Amino acid sequence: MNTKDSPSAETVAGPSRPDPVPNRLIAVIDIGTGAIRMAIAEIKEDSTVHTLERLSQAVTLGEDTFQTRNIQKSTMEDCVRILKSYRRRLDEYQITRDDQIRVVATSAVREADNRLAFTDRIFIATGFEVAPLDEAEVNRITYQGIRPYLTAKPNLDEARTIVTEIGGGTTELLLVQHGDVLFSKNYRLGALRLREMLKGYRVPLSKERTIMENQIQRVIQQIVHEVPADKSIKLVVLGGDVRFALAQLRPDDEVLDPSDSPDELDRLKVSELGKFTDRILQISEDQLVQNYHLSFTDAETLGPALLAYTKLAEAYQLKYIYVTKANFRDGLLKEMADQNNWSDEFNRQVIRSTIDFGKRFDFDQAHAQHVAFLADKLFQSLQNEHKLDLRNRLLLYTGALLHEIGIYVNQRSYHKHSMYLISNGNLFGLGQSDLLMVALIARYHRRASPNAIHPGYSTLDRISRIAIAKMAAILRVADALDYSYSQRVQEIECEIDQGQLIISIPHVEDVSLEQIALVEKGPLFEEVFGLKVHLRKKQ
Amino acid sequence: MASTATNYLNRELSWLEFNQRVLDEAHDPMNPLLERLKFLAITSSNLDEFFMVRVGGLHLLQTSGSKISDPSGMTPKATLEAISLRVHQMMVEQYQCLLTEIEPPLAAAGFQRVNPQDLADSQRRIVEHVFKDEIYPVLTPMAVTPEMDFPYLMNHTLNIIVRLAPDEKSKKRQDRFAIIPFGRTEFRFITLPSEGGYQYLPMEDAVCLFIEQYFQGEHVLESIPFRVTKNADVSLHDEFASDLLHQMEDMLDQRKQGDCIRLEIAEQVSVETLEFLERGLGVLDENVYRIPGPLDLTAFMRLTEISGFDALKSESWPSQPAPVVNPEITMFENISRQDILLCHPYESFEPVVRLIEEAAVDPDVLAIKQILYRTSKHSPIVAALIRAAEQGKHVTAIVELKARFDEARNIEWAKNLEHAGVQVIYGVKGLKTHAKVCCIIRREPQGIQRYLHFGTGNYNDATAKIYSDISYFTCDEVLASDAINFFNSITGYSQPQKYQKLEAAPISLRDKILDLIHHETERKKQGQKARIVAKVNSLVDPQIIDALYEASEAGVKVKLNIRGICCLRPGVAKLSKNIEVVSIIDRFLEHARVLYFYHGGDERVFISSADWMPRNLDRRVELLVPIEEENSRRKVIKILNTYFEDNAKARVLNGEGVYERITPSKEKNLVRCQQVLYEETVAAVKQAEKAGRTVFEPHMAPEDR
Repeated sequence: MNTKDSPSAETVAGPSRPDPVPNRLIAVIDIGTGAIRMAIAEIKEDSTVHTLERLSQAVTLGEDTFQTRNIQKSTMEDCVRILKSYRRRLDEYQITRDDQIRVVATSAVREADNRLAFTDRIFIATGFEVAPLDEAEVNRITYQGIRPYLTAKPNLDEARTIVTEIGGGTTELLLVQHGDVLFSKNYRLGALRLREMLKGYRVPLSKERTIMENQIQRVIQQIVHEVPADKSIKLVVLGGDVRFALAQLRPDDEVLDPSDSPDELDRLKVSELGKFTDRILQISEDQLVQNYHLSFTDAETLGPALLAYTKLAEAYQLKYIYVTKANFRDGLLKEMADQNNWSDEFNRQVIRSTIDFGKRFDFDQAHAQHVAFLADKLFQSLQNEHKLDLRNRLLLYTGALLHEIGIYVNQRSYHKHSMYLISNGNLFGLGQSDLLMVALIARYHRRASPNAIHPGYSTLDRISRIAIAKMAAILRVADALDYSYSQRVQEIECEIDQGQLIISIPHVEDVSLEQIALVEKGPLFEEVFGLKVHLRKKQ
Repeated sequence: MASTATNYLNRELSWLEFNQRVLDEAHDPMNPLLERLKFLAITSSNLDEFFMVRVGGLHLLQTSGSKISDPSGMTPKATLEAISLRVHQMMVEQYQCLLTEIEPPLAAAGFQRVNPQDLADSQRRIVEHVFKDEIYPVLTPMAVTPEMDFPYLMNHTLNIIVRLAPDEKSKKRQDRFAIIPFGRTEFRFITLPSEGGYQYLPMEDAVCLFIEQYFQGEHVLESIPFRVTKNADVSLHDEFASDLLHQMEDMLDQRKQGDCIRLEIAEQVSVETLEFLERGLGVLDENVYRIPGPLDLTAFMRLTEISGFDALKSESWPSQPAPVVNPEITMFENISRQDILLCHPYESFEPVVRLIEEAAVDPDVLAIKQILYRTSKHSPIVAALIRAAEQGKHVTAIVELKARFDEARNIEWAKNLEHAGVQVIYGVKGLKTHAKVCCIIRREPQGIQRYLHFGTGNYNDATAKIYSDISYFTCDEVLASDAINFFNSITGYSQPQKYQKLEAAPISLRDKILDLIHHETERKKQGQKARIVAKVNSLVDPQIIDALYEASEAGVKVKLNIRGICCLRPGVAKLSKNIEVVSIIDRFLEHARVLYFYHGGDERVFISSADWMPRNLDRRVELLVPIEEENSRRKVIKILNTYFEDNAKARVLNGEGVYERITPSKEKNLVRCQQVLYEETVAAVKQAEKAGRTVFEPHMAPEDR
């Protein structure tokens, strides 16, 4: 309701109060394997994130999913109860709009056969829309959270740094250098998963360790194969388990050192961590709860997680590991702070990873990058026509880069091969739904217009379908502009006049080649935007 | 260090020594007479609580056959015997004090308890009138025969037992008995008409005077006032460790009927009547206290509040408006300008009330979270919380219902809070919530701001006038985030998370204190300077005592100001020669818990809600709050040091568990800590006024208006 239409609202508000504060309040809820955690934060004017509250309550989602692949009814209701109580806390801060709240779920929900029943039940009972995150998204979010820590430490920034978190269900791993993500992958190694597996075996405490070590070594071998050991490798680890170990090994009986910036990473000696791990593994979970005031879920994952970290560090023959205070929720908050528009840095990472991907299929890099450049130019010039957000801009850019990779398979119907390769590929930071968008943009860069009967396209909602049509149309025009494959069209100026999009191109002799290409490539644009595309040589 | 039993003083006996120190104040001719009477009343109410809770629990332990010794090496049986002996002595001293030291000069000053036989005719007429109109219709005798169940008598209420001559028509030639229970009445003393001054008659005397009116045509042989303490209706979970409770468990159910663990009876009672009562109540000889004067001295407390007689009272020390709080701006502005540390009751409690009252009506306040442990009847804080909830703010109140003897009062206002829409949380299961903290969340132009108040005393504007406590206001980010975590964990919104600055019992508070003590020990061992100064109400916890012994042996100077129980033996060679323990009993009840550690020169200061007792550290929700802001820290260190300069009210504990007065050498001035603190506060206010600050207009709590 517009307050201007309702003077009564103003009188209720009392004497003139300062304008509503520019700071935005947001919250993220992370439904994990062992706990549902919430962070409430405030985004300051300079878009820094200031966390106000962190809450955590234990759940047994991981136990359910990893044992039976099903979330039990009682567990669901536990989640409902917890989320309802979180809802009350959000009300306290007047955080009520959907765009202020993001609720995500990780492997325990993702892998559950009844995940739809779960998310539906949560929505009905609490109004929260739970988005199960896929692995690429988790990596992207973690990267957002960890980046400031890495850039603050030059020696880490320069090294090849493995950033990893051994979670309840999966282990995420990023290889970063100079802020660039060189490699990212998720492994099905998780502390709670290990624990549940052990429960199935019913072995004595003494044997548990050997079994866990076997499982861990298998995954570590795979990691070492994919990220070969070299001297410059450093290991940065996240997660509550290792932070607990750090706190125990470094009892800061002191009040915080004021010079201690929150971006600081703590160094932990691997040999110390190993000894501590040995100690923890010899203590029963009940004793852990007693001695260290841990929750039961934390006590369950502590041993396996520490063992995995230790083994990983040993595999790379490291003396030290670095422990960060950053966590997954920090990344989520950061993403929300950026209004879901991914940061420039993040865009750069996605594009880098996309180019790497293209190279694997021998794409014509010069052409691909030029088409992407032109598509991007058009996207920006036509903002008023398509009204798409910056996130789509990145998807279009990515689609443009990869539009021709299908040629690697076969020239015939290569747009369909492009689609297949992209949607089954692994691009840093892009989740399944994003990948499908990119794949469809590439697919529709030639031949048939988008059609509701086409596979993939038919599964999308209207908003996504329209976005794809718009972006595919733009991509076709951009592709036509580099029909010569010579990148000779370097600059364009767009103007809309009398139902025409007039693209003026300076510094070229003639534009007839491109004009011919547009005969084939232009119609979709006209279908979508209702504008004929006209090329004009700029005098 | 191996702990041996002789390293500790017995906690019950140490408590009784504390009560003795209160009694010493009643003896002290330097105190005004009505103050002395007040101290005497306090000794009596203290003993009542002691019997209900501690002695009651020990009886259960003994009945359950427990032979386990406490840290001082005493079994429940031995402890009970020692208590009985000590309390009998104390009782004799109490009445000697009342009857020979306080009442004669009080009577001379016109304040007189009249003996029934000395009543003037006009007075007797009035008493008869009161008896007929107000007592006779209300109090009803019950006949008690050996064949019937003994009637239920309420704990700590007065009764009169009446022995009647045998019924002439009956064949049995036996004396008969009746009991007149007074029930829970507020009414104890009848004011008599007098020619100036104040004369009064205890109600039981009036009843005895006209006792025959109840028994028309009977022959009343005697009528004797008595009072019972029963082992019932008190939760012992807060008092005894779970292993002991486990042993008591079977007994706890039987306790429902309530064994009598103390019978107080007027000393003129006949052997027959006493035997009859002892049998009926099942009370043993050693638990009978024959009282040579009026029973239940607690009731005299109200008499001391009489108006007039100013010469018999202490001069008034009204709370001062603290100069650090500017009355012209809101508390929010005050706190955001600087942290504020107040020492009550010298500095007024009003800013605490004002903070919550302002929060209640401030349009930018989103939420108020508050722990209410014991609060006053017409608490302005409760009223403010209700107002806040009615304004649509999110108000969470953690209400501790188990606060001893306060149950009825608690439930009533807690219900009022609920009706207004306050989210009321009735404590944490199995733990008593004793921390004192309030957190206000406010939306401000620069973002969310959280205002905190931490205290060592309860949110009770009434006791804040007589308890000496520390208040600390801050909007420190880290403390705020810890406080929010703390609230989230005790209200069940979240699992406990590690705090950055706070420490909370029962999770980490004890470890933190032990760490801080060990730290001093280590420093000293490495040849550095080390020092521990602490002020708490009680020191019982063997772990902390051992750590302090260790520190002392390493050469750390330890100064303790402990008002009540202290199980640590100070000044013992090869154990505690560097530890000094003083206790101060004065007109204000010492209640603040303040800790100081030298910490290699980077001095650490804390305020806390927790005493150093296992119950506080293991079975209660308590807080330890660091005071880091420089002005506040310096202020609290100065206050703490003042406690060790006292040579007027301070008593020093020796290694035998005996407290001795400090006799100041001639050239030294008498230093009375509470007076120093009061005068310094007044001087500070004067200085601020001189410095051209505005006139102070305190917002008084409603009952003062």
